[in-house]
Amino acid sequence: MADTILNVEHLNKSFGSKHVLKDVSFSVQSGHIVGLVGPNGAGKSTIMKAVLGLFNYASGTITIDGDPVSPTSHKAMDKVGALIEYPGIYPFLSGMQHLKLFAKESTTQDQIDETVDRMKMTGYINQKAKSYSLGMKQKLGIALALVNRPKFVILDEPMNGLDPQANKDLRTLILDLAKQGTTFLISSHILSELEKLIDDLVVIDKGQIVYTQSMAALENGGKKLLVLKTSDDAKAKDVLSQNGYELNDADNVNITEKADTKMADIIKLLSDNGIDIDDVQHIHSDLETSLLELLKNDKVKES
Amino acid sequence: MVTLVKQEMYKLLHKKSTPAVSVVLLIIMTIFGVLSKTNPKYWGPKDMFVSMYTGENWVVLFMIAACSSIIAMEFQYGTIKELLYRKYYRGEILVSKWITMLVYSIYFFVLTFVYSLILKVILYNSKFKLSDTYANNHSIVETQVLGMVGAFLSVWLILSLVLLLANVFKSTAAAISIGIIGYFALSMVSGLMFVLMQKWDWLKWNPLNMMNLPSQIVDNSYHKMTLLSTPEMVWGSLIYTAIFMAISYVVFKRRSV
Ligand SMILES: Nc1ncnc2c1ncn2[C@@H]1O[C@H](COP(=O)(O)OP(=O)(O)O)[C@@H](O)[C@H]1O
Ligand SMILES: [Mg+2]
Repeated sequence: MADTILNVEHLNKSFGSKHVLKDVSFSVQSGHIVGLVGPNGAGKSTIMKAVLGLFNYASGTITIDGDPVSPTSHKAMDKVGALIEYPGIYPFLSGMQHLKLFAKESTTQDQIDETVDRMKMTGYINQKAKSYSLGMKQKLGIALALVNRPKFVILDEPMNGLDPQANKDLRTLILDLAKQGTTFLISSHILSELEKLIDDLVVIDKGQIVYTQSMAALENGGKKLLVLKTSDDAKAKDVLSQNGYELNDADNVNITEKADTKMADIIKLLSDNGIDIDDVQHIHSDLETSLLELLKNDKVKES
Repeated sequence: MVTLVKQEMYKLLHKKSTPAVSVVLLIIMTIFGVLSKTNPKYWGPKDMFVSMYTGENWVVLFMIAACSSIIAMEFQYGTIKELLYRKYYRGEILVSKWITMLVYSIYFFVLTFVYSLILKVILYNSKFKLSDTYANNHSIVETQVLGMVGAFLSVWLILSLVLLLANVFKSTAAAISIGIIGYFALSMVSGLMFVLMQKWDWLKWNPLNMMNLPSQIVDNSYHKMTLLSTPEMVWGSLIYTAIFMAISYVVFKRRSV
């Protein structure tokens, strides 16, 4: 219990007749950076809003640091900072005025200035926010999530609208804060964006969690594939599968390469059966591909 | 709660329109003060003083705008989420906005009252005394204060409706227009309303009739048309205000963001 900061169990949520979250369960370990990845409309923002106590849910439990979270139970929110969907900005206030407005009494001006400095916003922090670009507003939204040094930070697609430099700065900042013990739950519809950042991955599709794993395990799980072009692909597939090779579902001959898979054995087997090999390719599927594979193959049914 | 009210005040004070509105109010009152000095035939000095140099009407307009904006802007700017996912409860967020508006309306009433006294002293120091009898055995200053109390109650009846509409429609435009129409509709439809009330007695309890409170509190003979006693109207106004506020509270608590 002590090292789980967020625990979501059997969470169900509907908007009208639309069942948006289906029996969602996952947990976030204290001090970890957890990525919540899934296609648009999968339910990432909805999960985050539920975790922030923004609406009622049909069933399930959510706890932060052991305290239950719901619209009528917000005690745990004192430890949380968040940016959901797009940043809410008052056009008539400057960036600094926003930070002062939402800063807790325990947050010092030095801490505010440090956040501004780390987000590289010093140049325009005293201008009115109505003059900000999309990226500048996004940075202000992130700064607002971080300004009170919360224990747990929830960022919904934080890289939206950031240029590559700002993107890199944000990653560095998140890693630094995580080292000091801050826990992060970060969503994105692009895994590669989070790949270098996160410790654990939660994949969601159509309102269901389809995969939870540590990054280390996922990286090791990346498959090596052997793709062959032959004179008779259909026959080659038959022969190979009869001989215990694991074939992947594809138009061409696509074998999962294992430790004991030997090219020589395959060539011999096929030529013994009168099949010529025209071409061979080794493919190491990367994370993005495994994820797409995962989303394509999952057994989630539309309801 | 104190923190929340402070935050609402911070936002209100940092809007450019806030100081501008107070300045405009004082300018308009000054203009009517001067007019009543130069053209006392059209703008009687005593009447102008009692009606606070038209200040009260402008206060209603400005408060309608402020109340619709304090709610609707959070939806318009998308800041409602930021407000709600903190350790505070939804109800507290809404009540902190109401308190801010209550303070703002008291500020406006005090400002117009004090400034009308100042205008009176500057323009008519020797012409008439505040203790002179004005009408219905009330002195000038009594009439003014009573009118203000009545106006305060009926203004809040309108404002509670505006706060509700801003909450329901999440837009300033709808809340402001209905608020203003509601306030000024009274003078247009009151004749018809009084006729209908003679026919159907229960109609006297409609909220628009409550808006006659400022007139009746000063001039008791209004009772013949409103068919309600002054205490009945005071209670009626308070109860309608409470009902609108209660609906607002429920709507706000249930809203998905
Ligand atoms: N307030 C709402 N009312 C109705 N449907 C909603 C609402 N919010 C989200 N949805 C639906 O829930 C699903 C998940 O949305 P969301 O959590 O925003 O997805 P993501 O953030 O993963 O892109 C979508 O199909 C969306 O249409
Ligand atoms: Mg989203």
